[in-house]
Amino acid sequence: MNKIIEEKIRISKCGANLYLQNTRFTMSALGEEADLQKDKIYDYFSNRRDVLDFFYTGLLLEYKESTHSIKGYSEFTLSEKLGNLALTLIDLMEPHREFVKKTYWDLVGCSGRRPPFETHFRDELRAIYESDSQQSRLSMAFNREPLFKAGTYNFHLLIRFWLHDLSEGRQKSMELVDKWTSFVQELHYSSILDRGFDVAKFIFYNSPFSKNKTSTT
Amino acid sequence: MSDFPSSKYDRGKIFAKTGLKVGTSYAKHYLKNLRGSSDERNSEFYGQTAQQIFSEFTKLRGTALKIAQSLSIDQGLLPDEFSEVMTQAQYSVPPINRSLVRSIIKRELGGYPEQIFKSFDSTAIAAASIGQVHRAELKTGEKVAVKIQYPGVRDTIASDLGLAKSLFKRIISNKDELDEYFEEVESTLRKETDYIHEGETINRFHERFSSDRYETPRWIEDFSTERVLTMTYLEGVHLKEFLDSDPSQEEKDHFGQLIWDFFHEQVRDSDEIHADTHPGNFLFTNDGKLGIIDFGCVKNFPDSFFIDYLRLLPTHLNRDLEEIKELYFRLGVLKDDPETNEKEKEYFEFCLNYGFTFAMPYQSDTYDFGDPEYRDMIRGYTKNAPIGNEARGNKHFLYSTRVHLGLYHFLMKLGAMVQTKKSREVVEERISEEVG
Repeated sequence: MNKIIEEKIRISKCGANLYLQNTRFTMSALGEEADLQKDKIYDYFSNRRDVLDFFYTGLLLEYKESTHSIKGYSEFTLSEKLGNLALTLIDLMEPHREFVKKTYWDLVGCSGRRPPFETHFRDELRAIYESDSQQSRLSMAFNREPLFKAGTYNFHLLIRFWLHDLSEGRQKSMELVDKWTSFVQELHYSSILDRGFDVAKFIFYNSPFSKNKTSTT
Repeated sequence: MSDFPSSKYDRGKIFAKTGLKVGTSYAKHYLKNLRGSSDERNSEFYGQTAQQIFSEFTKLRGTALKIAQSLSIDQGLLPDEFSEVMTQAQYSVPPINRSLVRSIIKRELGGYPEQIFKSFDSTAIAAASIGQVHRAELKTGEKVAVKIQYPGVRDTIASDLGLAKSLFKRIISNKDELDEYFEEVESTLRKETDYIHEGETINRFHERFSSDRYETPRWIEDFSTERVLTMTYLEGVHLKEFLDSDPSQEEKDHFGQLIWDFFHEQVRDSDEIHADTHPGNFLFTNDGKLGIIDFGCVKNFPDSFFIDYLRLLPTHLNRDLEEIKELYFRLGVLKDDPETNEKEKEYFEFCLNYGFTFAMPYQSDTYDFGDPEYRDMIRGYTKNAPIGNEARGNKHFLYSTRVHLGLYHFLMKLGAMVQTKKSREVVEERISEEVG
């Protein structure tokens, strides 16, 4: 991760802490909190909203960086990669839980525009799905925008669950991630859809009632 | 890499599904047998059914898998093929998702494995009922084993025991007395899920036993929490791999003697007894030591029970029927005079003969646990136990029997010849100390 990104992440975390004290904090106050000149802050961010948005984008960048240090990450299964994405983000949010509680839905979940976090999150989902060769042929065909959109929506629901999770060590959230990602993997790895598609295709081309008589066998 | 079913519904569903699968298999088997039966066919059938049960039970992990482990120890209660397959449950259930492992470590130890350890093998070397073990290296270069508890496993204790209890209450007539057995199991399982408690136990056993005969790990407290346990790594092989290597009788006797002595040294001190005597918890090291690796289930039996339990040995060896009868009364096995009550007589005769068989290894100075006749006798008693519809005996029998039976089955599987003279003296000394 380059120095500028690291600095931006640090400043955005200062902004998150400041937000809890004063939701309308000034850039000067942020400068003081981050031990930087106000002008320097403006080199990185144009306004307060930009700082708060970057808090979430920064989490994804930190997550991405962490995957490089996981030994054997490329061999992880689909459920392990999806689980790692969700769990790492939750781990990174944990020290800023109060801030997430106050801002997630406004800045990420229900935002009228598409927030930068969501764009990056969908890109990451695309990268995970497209790099997995164990999926069935048919499920690969579904690796499209609606799938990534649904995946992002599921993540929002997970965050809502986690924010209400009072179990020790947030074990319930871990279990939910484990169960959900295992289910998704089961769907994507199952060859039953491929078999079903083969049967449907065969019947379509070979049915005596079909006008199209091109045989596939 | 399956998910962990922690809700009552999920777990109940797996119980039901297993029942259905087994029921279907039995129906198929019955139809096949109508066309003539054979032992070979039975063996194949039991093996397949056991595999089905095993694959479903391993999904449950937690308490249900603990029950499977107990069944694998009490050989004779199940056909050989079942016991063999259930033994796998001791250290080879499917591991959990690798990303979940990372996250658990982060939450518990404050950093991801790659930040905390010099190296961390994300593939588990053993996965059992409550947690799984990973090999790692500390930044100091020390090799360690990191045990990680499955998330939500504590919650399953109450729900699984609740399921089991409601099942037993349908069968058992003295329902009220059942509670104390379940309380004993529940409190033991709760302790097993507290890895700080286990870490402290590891250190006490290390102090007591680490020597030129036994190897026990050291607890690495700085890298441990209630759900993550780090200890020094022990090299060695389990019983199965040891037997697969075609060892000499001398080697078998050597390790058999070590485990026999380990058990009796605990009797001598009687502070704490390792109460999980199954093959997954012991290692045979290259330098001929016995490695003991799991300290989750360690019991402190109260003297009031333990001394009476030990007294069963000399009284059976001396065939002192009056004293034996008195002991069984005190231990809650007998409820009425066997001379006048037919049911009590049946229990007494069974216990008496089982006791004589159990005392046999102590009768002479050396005993051959490889003797197939002895194995058949022990199995015969388990099979023919007068199982009534009431709970009997002191609640501490649950674990004392587990230790004892576990030890005998371990030695029988090993086929070891063991010197027993010294151990007989240990038991007698322990009793006389208490009486004195």
